[in-house]
Amino acid sequence: MTAAVPAVAPAARRRPGTATVLRWEATKLAAQVRSRALLIGAVVVPIAVVLIFNTQLPPKDTIYGRHIHTSGYAVPLFVLAFAHQWVLPLLAALVAGDIFANEDQHGTWKTILTRSVSRTQIFWAKTLTAVGFNLLVLVLLAASTITTSLLVVGSQPLPGLSGQLIPAGHALPLVIASWATAVAPVLGFTALAILLSVVTRNPTIGVASPVVLGMIMQLVGSLGGLNKARRLLLTTPFETWHGLLTAHPFHAPVTTGVIVSAGWLVVCLAIAYLYLRRRDITGG
Amino acid sequence: MSDVLAVNAVNLTKAYGSLTAVNNITVQVARGEVYGVLGPNGAGKTTFLRMLFGLIRPDSGTLEVFGRSWPRHGVNSLSGVAGFIESPKFYPALSGRRNLRLLAGLDGGDAADRVDDVLDMVGLTARQHDKVRGYSFGMRQRLGVASALLRNPRLLVLDEPANGLDPAGIRDMRALVRRLADTGLTVLLSSHDMGEVEQICDNVTIMKAGTVVHHGSIAALRELAPEQAHRISTTDDDRAAELARARGLEVTTADDGLDVRGPQKDVDALIADIVDTGIALRGLTRDETPLEALFFMLTESAPAGPPAGLDAATGGRR
Repeated sequence: MTAAVPAVAPAARRRPGTATVLRWEATKLAAQVRSRALLIGAVVVPIAVVLIFNTQLPPKDTIYGRHIHTSGYAVPLFVLAFAHQWVLPLLAALVAGDIFANEDQHGTWKTILTRSVSRTQIFWAKTLTAVGFNLLVLVLLAASTITTSLLVVGSQPLPGLSGQLIPAGHALPLVIASWATAVAPVLGFTALAILLSVVTRNPTIGVASPVVLGMIMQLVGSLGGLNKARRLLLTTPFETWHGLLTAHPFHAPVTTGVIVSAGWLVVCLAIAYLYLRRRDITGG
Repeated sequence: MSDVLAVNAVNLTKAYGSLTAVNNITVQVARGEVYGVLGPNGAGKTTFLRMLFGLIRPDSGTLEVFGRSWPRHGVNSLSGVAGFIESPKFYPALSGRRNLRLLAGLDGGDAADRVDDVLDMVGLTARQHDKVRGYSFGMRQRLGVASALLRNPRLLVLDEPANGLDPAGIRDMRALVRRLADTGLTVLLSSHDMGEVEQICDNVTIMKAGTVVHHGSIAALRELAPEQAHRISTTDDDRAAELARARGLEVTTADDGLDVRGPQKDVDALIADIVDTGIALRGLTRDETPLEALFFMLTESAPAGPPAGLDAATGGRR
């Protein structure tokens, strides 16, 4: 510490905008080994899964399980049905459940909040980063699964859920649309993970709790006599793609699922935002 | 505008449940000052600094930095302000340089162009590409100073900057703060070390249990301080004590000798008396400095307030 100290000029700087803060958060996320591994996993794991199931006896007790050797379009739907049980909530929570809490873990809230950015900017930068990352993971997962399935099994016509046969030309858009229905609940789980990350300040709880809560919701959803409550669960929208694959498609569940997911998203983010805004930063 | 104080905190109070961390304190720091906030652990120093940075909200009172306050100006009130609270924290998996570049992104302006300069200033250029998780405590402290200097501040706030540093690190940190202060920067420094504040600061606020027990210049504090104390150990402490009392010195008996307090010339004469009397002198050490003694008097006295002779409201002499 011997270098000369330059004369101090009065500070006159322009505050960074939210886009700059977003870039900062994205740079930080890109530097994490975990996030890079997650992106690679979203591409590689589906390839392995498709190849493994292609050598196994078809699991007949799972939706589309019996067709995974006869149509390449059936495999992504089989994977989607399996993934929504806990894989998609977990993928949604891996970054979102950690993105706020890791500042607590490292004690860095005081480091970043003593710069020239507001809590609001930090909140939206982190939220948008988590949302963008999770959408990217979902897209990679879907693209890898669909591509691998078609290459390995083939592009045969897809059996519909009401017994009809869907020609290959129509099957691809329906499979893509089915995966697209997962966007809304994945965003809902992202917001839930963000809320838990902000409130608990604990990355482990932020990541694990949405998965556990998702399983509890599935359990509650499977109980009889709870039809109205079932519609409000965040796991129900994961199943709305079934209506797209019947002889007479029905879209109302998809719409309801989007609305329910949006409700979870808004409520969770609003609570998380208010909590972060009002919180005293005392740790670290 | 030039009359605007760098820091103007008036009647600040912050409580956590039944614990009042900061109780109705007033701290005013003029531009260009090197100001110390001194107190034992738990005195409320860090809570005050956290309020200054907007990390926590005061329950009552007002706090302005260069005339700007959090309620009215939000994060803009931190314009020209930099520093760290407690030990500075960074992302451990990233290098020191990468951390600074990320933080520069949150500062805007030309902060990113200053990364090389500030690394050089704190002597971390050679280790800039190492991950922070491999940094020693002292290196993290220096990186904390570097990250503050990135903002080209007018007010530098340092919370216990020498904490955890080895003697050489403490010396270097004090020299750096002094050099920064010489450039006209306002420095607000918290510490529990009277010696550190005495060497660096012009003015000081002493806190205890969330309240201000004294504020004023270091020079004024010196006037209030008791005489220098010495620890004397001899082959005949009882006789030495008699000699000290005969010289008008204040004497208290300790386990390993005598604590003698009084003007330096009288202590010098006492040493000569002891040797002339044929008593062997086994040890002579300076105890706490006068300012340290005053600090302990101020912060270890009964909770009701400062010791006799000091005004509870202003901390000054009655």
